[in-house]
Amino acid sequence: MSTVFVVNSPIHTTALEVQDLVIRYGEIAAVNSVSFAARHGEVTAVLGRNGAGKTSTLEACEGLRRATSGSLRVLGTHVADIDNSLRARIGVMLQDGGIAPSARVMSLVRHYCRLYDRGVDPRQLLTQVGLQHRARSTWRRLSGGERQRFSLALALAANPDIAFLDEPTAGVDLDGREMVREIIAGLTAKGCCVVLATHDLDEAERVAQHVVVLHHGKVVLDDSVENLCVGNRRLEDVVREVTR
Amino acid sequence: MKLIVTQTRMELATLLRNYEQLLLIMVIPVGILVFFGNVEVLPDSVSLSRLVSSVLTLSIMSTAMVSTGIATGFERSYHVLKRLGATPLGRERLIWAKAASVAIVEAAQILILLVIASLMGWSPGSVTWWKLIGAIVLGTSAFAGIGLALAGRLRAEANLAAQNGLYLALLAVGGIIVPIDELPDAMAVVARILPSGALAEAMHTSLGGVTSDAWFSYASGSGVWLDLLGWAVIAPIVAARLFRFDS
Repeated sequence: MSTVFVVNSPIHTTALEVQDLVIRYGEIAAVNSVSFAARHGEVTAVLGRNGAGKTSTLEACEGLRRATSGSLRVLGTHVADIDNSLRARIGVMLQDGGIAPSARVMSLVRHYCRLYDRGVDPRQLLTQVGLQHRARSTWRRLSGGERQRFSLALALAANPDIAFLDEPTAGVDLDGREMVREIIAGLTAKGCCVVLATHDLDEAERVAQHVVVLHHGKVVLDDSVENLCVGNRRLEDVVREVTR
Repeated sequence: MKLIVTQTRMELATLLRNYEQLLLIMVIPVGILVFFGNVEVLPDSVSLSRLVSSVLTLSIMSTAMVSTGIATGFERSYHVLKRLGATPLGRERLIWAKAASVAIVEAAQILILLVIASLMGWSPGSVTWWKLIGAIVLGTSAFAGIGLALAGRLRAEANLAAQNGLYLALLAVGGIIVPIDELPDAMAVVARILPSGALAEAMHTSLGGVTSDAWFSYASGSGVWLDLLGWAVIAPIVAARLFRFDS
């Protein structure tokens, strides 16, 4: 499958730096002094159980959620100082889509391509996520997997230098997962930093080079998949151990 | 500017695909104007000019409060506003785009309603245009503030019920169709405080009508504009304080 992305970021330099991030909801610290970094040309998987703080962390990085304290630098800029030209280089896929049920696939993809204005062709993008035959459908008529791919297409409209993908394969069938994997591989091959949050440890093991495991809002593991999965050891076993 | 134009086009395209919204902002005001302009069921004191001002008020309320409020409430619940906030559009431009789409819809509504009114025998000869535009701007600000305050805090379904309920209540007893002078005393007191009554009266005087007794006894007629100005300033401030971009 051909890709349409062109990213000029140098491979393996730091794209995201999270230092001592704290996010509180009232008395509860959903994210408690979290630090990690993610590099261009790599997939960093943020793993953890429900309520571990994955989505809150990603949303703080995207500038959608205010951090109580800590430092967040995205593409070298503090998150509070991200302007619209930098925002145009950040791809975002929300866990819950952020799409109205009446939105038509082609119309919304075309709209997002215009908003990001990064030279992405909407038709090519739809073909890439396998939704070219659903161009005239509304979001409400798509299957669960198609909705995820639709949401992924909106993130890709940014032709991103960094992409935050929250549960990109949730509800996606086997063929769809393969397609998502290829898209992510295409992004990293061009130097994009992909930060994805997922419950799916098999999927993380397949696509990620770097893993950050959160448990009760804290980082309990931060290492490369290569170091963690030595011999027959599987990522699922490693994560179970540290989140027990 | 380019992004605001792009988003405004999207807002308008979404509105045109939504038949319930079209019913609210176009069919109902036109229907009321044509029906009550031809069937004698309103009090004799309600002239065609009074009816035109009432229908203009209704159309402002429909677009700025109910249509914008309901659409924004659902967008908030589907996290559409949050998602757009992560694009280069940003929140500020999104608000400008929404304001621009409301202005365009209102301009179209008013033009169509005035053309229909002219065909029914109403003459624009005595219109004070700067007053009319002032009333439209103040009314839009007031009703958009109310609509967004509800949309920014309530769940989508509760917001839908609240906006429709408020629309019907203001339509019935808010001094829009039935002038405040014709309402029972207790109701007239309430209607005089409401933005609907103030806007209807401001519209009426803008179209060349005479300030009604109920308003004349209240700050010598200028009370209409002070009341409307108060709503136009306070309602958006309240909306800004209450509004949450994400549910």
